[in-house]
Amino acid sequence: MLSPSHPVHLVLGLVVWSIWFVVLYGGLSVACAVAPPPVAMGPLTWVNAVLGAITLGVTVLLLYLARSCWRTVPVVEEEGNPSRFVTQVAAGVHLVAAAATLAVGLPLLVLPPCP
Amino acid sequence: MCHVQRVTAPALLGIPVLLAGCTGPYSTLDPAGPAALTAAWLWWAMFGFATLVLLGVVALWLYAMIRDPGAIDEHEARHVQYRWIIGGGLVLPMGSITLLLAFGVPAGHGMLPLGDDDDVLRIHVTGHQWWWEVEYPQAGITRRDELHIPAGVPVDIHLSSADVIHSFWVPRLGGKLDAVPGHVNVLRLQADEAGTYHGQCAEFCGLLHAHMDFAVYAHEPGDFDAWLEDAQGDD
Amino acid sequence: MTEPRAPRAEALHQRFERVWSNLPGWGTLAAVNHTTVGLRFMATGAVFFLIGGILAMLVRTQLALPEQEIIGPQLYNQAFTMHGTVMMFLFAIPILEGLALYMIPKLIGARDLAFPRISSLGYYCYLFGGLIILSSLFLGVAPDSGWFMYTPLSGAEYTPGPGPDFWLLGITFVEISAMAAGIELTVSILRTRARGMSLRRMPLFCWYILAMALMIVFGFPPLILASILLELERAAGLPFFDVAGGGDPILWQHLFWLFGHPEVYIIFLPAAGIVSTLIPVFSQRPIVGYRWLVLAIIVTGFISFGLWVHHMFTVGIPHLAQAFFSVASMLVAVPTAIQVFAWLATLWLGRVVYSLPMLWILGFLVVFVCGGLTGVMLALVPFNWQVHDTHFVVAHLHYVLVGGMLFPLIAGFYYWLPQLSGRMPSHVLGRWGFWLTFIGFNATFLMMHLTGLLGMPRRVYTYEGGLGWDWLNLLSSVGGFIMAAGIAMIILDITLHFRFGRPAGRNPWNADTLEWAVDAPPTSYNFASLPKLPTRHPLWEQPDLPESIAAGEHGLSSIEHGRRETYGTDAVSGRLREIIHLPGNSWLPLLAALSLAVVCISLLVRAYPAALLGVVGALYFLLRWSWVNGVHPAMAPLVDDEPTDPPLHSRTCDGPGLWGMVITLMANGTLYLSLLFGWFYLWTAAPQWTVPEQRPLDLVPLLGAGVLLTVATWVFNRLVARLRAGESVDLGRGFWGVAMLGAGHVGLLVLVLWNGSLEPTERAHDAVLLVMLIYLLLHGGLCAILTGMQALRVRLGYVGPRLPYEPVVLRPLWIYTLGVFWTAFAAFILLPAAWGSA
Repeated sequence: MLSPSHPVHLVLGLVVWSIWFVVLYGGLSVACAVAPPPVAMGPLTWVNAVLGAITLGVTVLLLYLARSCWRTVPVVEEEGNPSRFVTQVAAGVHLVAAAATLAVGLPLLVLPPCP
Repeated sequence: MCHVQRVTAPALLGIPVLLAGCTGPYSTLDPAGPAALTAAWLWWAMFGFATLVLLGVVALWLYAMIRDPGAIDEHEARHVQYRWIIGGGLVLPMGSITLLLAFGVPAGHGMLPLGDDDDVLRIHVTGHQWWWEVEYPQAGITRRDELHIPAGVPVDIHLSSADVIHSFWVPRLGGKLDAVPGHVNVLRLQADEAGTYHGQCAEFCGLLHAHMDFAVYAHEPGDFDAWLEDAQGDD
Repeated sequence: MTEPRAPRAEALHQRFERVWSNLPGWGTLAAVNHTTVGLRFMATGAVFFLIGGILAMLVRTQLALPEQEIIGPQLYNQAFTMHGTVMMFLFAIPILEGLALYMIPKLIGARDLAFPRISSLGYYCYLFGGLIILSSLFLGVAPDSGWFMYTPLSGAEYTPGPGPDFWLLGITFVEISAMAAGIELTVSILRTRARGMSLRRMPLFCWYILAMALMIVFGFPPLILASILLELERAAGLPFFDVAGGGDPILWQHLFWLFGHPEVYIIFLPAAGIVSTLIPVFSQRPIVGYRWLVLAIIVTGFISFGLWVHHMFTVGIPHLAQAFFSVASMLVAVPTAIQVFAWLATLWLGRVVYSLPMLWILGFLVVFVCGGLTGVMLALVPFNWQVHDTHFVVAHLHYVLVGGMLFPLIAGFYYWLPQLSGRMPSHVLGRWGFWLTFIGFNATFLMMHLTGLLGMPRRVYTYEGGLGWDWLNLLSSVGGFIMAAGIAMIILDITLHFRFGRPAGRNPWNADTLEWAVDAPPTSYNFASLPKLPTRHPLWEQPDLPESIAAGEHGLSSIEHGRRETYGTDAVSGRLREIIHLPGNSWLPLLAALSLAVVCISLLVRAYPAALLGVVGALYFLLRWSWVNGVHPAMAPLVDDEPTDPPLHSRTCDGPGLWGMVITLMANGTLYLSLLFGWFYLWTAAPQWTVPEQRPLDLVPLLGAGVLLTVATWVFNRLVARLRAGESVDLGRGFWGVAMLGAGHVGLLVLVLWNGSLEPTERAHDAVLLVMLIYLLLHGGLCAILTGMQALRVRLGYVGPRLPYEPVVLRPLWIYTLGVFWTAFAAFILLPAAWGSA
């Protein structure tokens, strides 16, 4: 496991977000191409359920990462590692990624998947 | 004049220039169907809100530039930082977005061709360089660059293309949808009242793209049936 | 102009100039120096801007009145296509790249970029590609299907002429320069910063450019792939986008906008970087919310890759999917708002100095915020359905691009001019230029929103009178000419200032960053000695830094060895790691770019043997380039008094080359993933996708090729591991063996291709498979050739236990090639087989 102060955390949260976004859009497209649920069911379909579950899972994961970064933020910046700057920004990136995941996933609650 | 009884927002905002020039055969601000009306409302609401935000932000900037900050300590500076970045950078856009989507997503959903498929009149429209082939599959009628529809009820336009990508758009009735070769897209339109509405190709489709317009004739339901019978007789 | 140097500094200057200056006369074409190349980029970009502007004037003249026939649809379609193409690809991106190439080393305290020859190659590719595209205009065959080249309109059936070929080949050629800049800037910012400049001390401009560079690395490959595929469709009939052949025109739109939307931010971010640089200087206080801005930059860089479908809301994608993109498009407003309010807070807390650059920043704010707000409107799906493809969008995009890019760019020019020329621009002319441009711009585009709302589609060459559009179009045309007058005024001002401007003295704006420690006009080596920078505001905290730098009081001030050197530092902490020795003037970039131009032109005129000749030439010059490296006599031969603490980078295992290789492979990987995306997309979405009944490729030789590649990679890794450990027994023979294995791999792939029953012109399935096979073949071949060269270099003593650098750089290429082979095998062979049996 990478240390929470590793600089890769500056992008990790949003990399996770990007992968989730691809899964969300790709998954929806494939599901609608292969087995579109009836329109009359509205948003209460297996497609929305599965994608919603993934969305929640990713959000929780990102929040956890944000928390673990935030907890390692050193009180003062010292020469050398771990850098207060890097961990602080990394925590922010994870938090933003979590919020973006949740926000982009919200339409799953109200819209039917395929039309 | 815009339809004042429907769209009162401009009067409130007092933008006389816009008021004077809202009508026109292709004007989205002169809506004649439910989809176009929703879009026009969305526009006026967003326009009002955006104008306020723009004026507010610019006024704040100008004030920030001329004001004398005086002596500020670190603590105060941090306070100002949080006030502006959290207030203006987070709360303002996120609040606006939430509001916008709360209205916008259902509005878009309402424009989709969902449910009671069998009752809705189907018209097949195929884009060609540079004309529209219009077909009534139930009645076996074909027309060129003209659609006839019953007023007051929704119709579904099944769009495709015989060559390049075109886009079917009747601004006063509703949004546009692309006619893509190999694909069929369904656009639901409704004209509230009988009359002639103008449409055009919106997606650039080559040399004479500018001349790819068409007309939509909305008839009272009785008249439409008569037209249909008439046209079947002709063909 | 800077005051005369102290005698000691002058002597040092003379010695540095001897090593660092460009060759005289025609030899200047061999220049690799970042200041020279950056200026060339910007000057060329400015010329293209004027050409794009003239095209815009042509468009506005035609549209000024209804039913005009000044230029017919034929010329009009060429004019608007070329206007968009020139402004986007030949002006906006290159000029910002040029600014970054010019500025970055000066800001981070380096003497040059990490790969100077790549700067030069990038410039020549840009210049030649731009000229090729432009020539189509004079030949009367310019592309005319819009700057996003939608298929099938741009396909061979509906546009049989060479217009789209000019676009596809020319733009791909130009994109080499964008990729080069992206890779080079990333590595330079990460690895060549001044000692002590940890990430948190990096000037914000560098963060913005880092984000831009990485976005280029990931954003351009989809377009490059799409262009290659479309050119293959046009030239060879491979039906990637043709419905009848099992392709889909929507795939083009996905690939194009997958590039196209990030591109908007690639243009905006550097401009925002200029704003973030200027505002603190003119407020005379540090920026407020540095961390917030860094966060906003990172977030923008990522989220902007999740917006592309908002250009495609009317193509018939499921509404739920549109909603995802709609939300993501609006979310990107959040980091932008954070930036706007951080700038506001800085102004709020500072004592603002009024000046010409600030006037442009203010103009930027008004125009850009307006464009951002209409952008949020356009992200709303039901509203988008109405105004998409109308003049509303035209107005919006000009507000965002002119407001978000041109205004800050001019602000930046005015700000940095004294750094370049040592003189100040005129205030009177400058103000006239600003107000004419600002008023002209808004006259052109503000009411154009209404033109769109009143239903005028974009890209129509004429319109009927009486639709309510007449006066609006006339206003826009008049505004356009006012803006042109403003631009002319600015050009006049800048030209005149070189001669008549009042001398600026050093650091006339009292700026905090290091570029103002460089002489004005800048010296070829930037800094005679490289200081340690334990602060974000070096010139505010140590005002005498310029003098001590020039006097050689800091690091690397010796130049007797004749090498061009700069420090290599740790990417995060900025700790010193090695001395990077840089190549001097070289003709190889020009020769390679000329060969590539031969390829490009030959493909245009379909003279394939000549194209092959060009490829051979380019390959020769590029391999020669890679040969002149390390301890090659023309580079940094081993000497007795080698620096050891820190060592020269080519004597280590982790120099900029490795970073460059990895970043290049990231770009390459994005291209590959785009191809995989195309494969899966067509598989699920193409209306007439067909799969051949029999597997078109022989499995046994394909597996054999995979085994050879796996063994080769494994052996190569072992050799590198032993080399790192200081063992070199049989190193040369080992490399020969690996090269042979690689050659065997290529041979088997050729066999697979030869024996296969691919019908690439009949079926998109086979066409994609063919492209993938060629991709694998090129990679296998490249690995084999480069490893063979390493074997030769071992024999010549260029590679060995003391010099392990080059095999270490090559290693990721082998691993990458292995990775793409087996994922391709899984995606193209295993998955379809499993799908078929399911």
